[in-house]
Amino acid sequence: MNSNEQTFSPRGPIIVFSALIFLTIATVMLSGLDIGNIGALIIAMSVASVKAGLVLYFFMHLNHEPLIFKLFVALAFVTLATLFLLTFSDYAFRGIA
Amino acid sequence: MSEQAVTVEAFHHHDEEGTRLGFWLFLFTELLLFGAFFIVYGVYRSAHLNDFKIAAESLNTGIGTTNTIILLASSLTVVLSLNAMRAGRVKLAKTMLLITMALGTTFLIIKGFEWNAKFAHDLYLQTSGAIAAGKGSPLLTPGPEMLPNGQVLFYGLYFIMTGTHALHIIIGAVWMGIVYYWIAKGSINPENVGVLERCALYWHLVDVIWIFLFPLYYLVA
Repeated sequence: MNSNEQTFSPRGPIIVFSALIFLTIATVMLSGLDIGNIGALIIAMSVASVKAGLVLYFFMHLNHEPLIFKLFVALAFVTLATLFLLTFSDYAFRGIA
Repeated sequence: MSEQAVTVEAFHHHDEEGTRLGFWLFLFTELLLFGAFFIVYGVYRSAHLNDFKIAAESLNTGIGTTNTIILLASSLTVVLSLNAMRAGRVKLAKTMLLITMALGTTFLIIKGFEWNAKFAHDLYLQTSGAIAAGKGSPLLTPGPEMLPNGQVLFYGLYFIMTGTHALHIIIGAVWMGIVYYWIAKGSINPENVGVLERCALYWHLVDVIWIFLFPLYYLVA
């Protein structure tokens, strides 16, 4: 991915940036809806995940990395998700949360 | 590749891909650091949902949105800086890096004003020493004026999480300053972009963390 022959083109990053701004404005507007706590949380976290995915895949150049990089990153997020799931399921049955 | 070039390359062996993978591993540890914060936030939020909602009302969504857009723009400029450097456009790469640092600084200044407004309302982080000396905030220390526990937790988490994030912005901006100096000196150049690349990766990760902090503090709470 370090070929020096490549020419500079801001087009791709600007398209990704536009999508990120659009999603930011969308999530702010959607937060005004009265859809209850869980619904609002799901929407906000879903939009945030899509935004994070765009940054990781395009800005952090995962799209140009070998498969092993993508697997590593996926594994890191699966690990984090497992920690969340285990902790929250624990608290859910303790009657304090 | 000439015979001589092969020999020199073998002599100064440097595995750029391995270095990058190693840097991603470091980024995963950052993810776990903030992940722990998010777990604490999640547990306390579900335990004190109403208090979290009331306390979050005091945060300004407009300021949060502005800072989100500033950070996203800085992610764009740092990726443009890296792409420009790879394409041999050194001057453009330097300009984009300067803009990124300026955006990062703007983020911090806005964050500073936001924190200051909270300080003015007696909301701040306090040490146990200050509390013992009677200098704690009346709103956050035990007493007749103390806010409900859930709100005290919210403000504590707000300062710790946005503060740790701001610390990462400071580290990233200082690192960019060093990278800028190395570009000016010529040790980072179109043939050797590794350090700029890792600096950009770090900056993007800090942006990714903010992408999750923003809705949790400014939108859904």
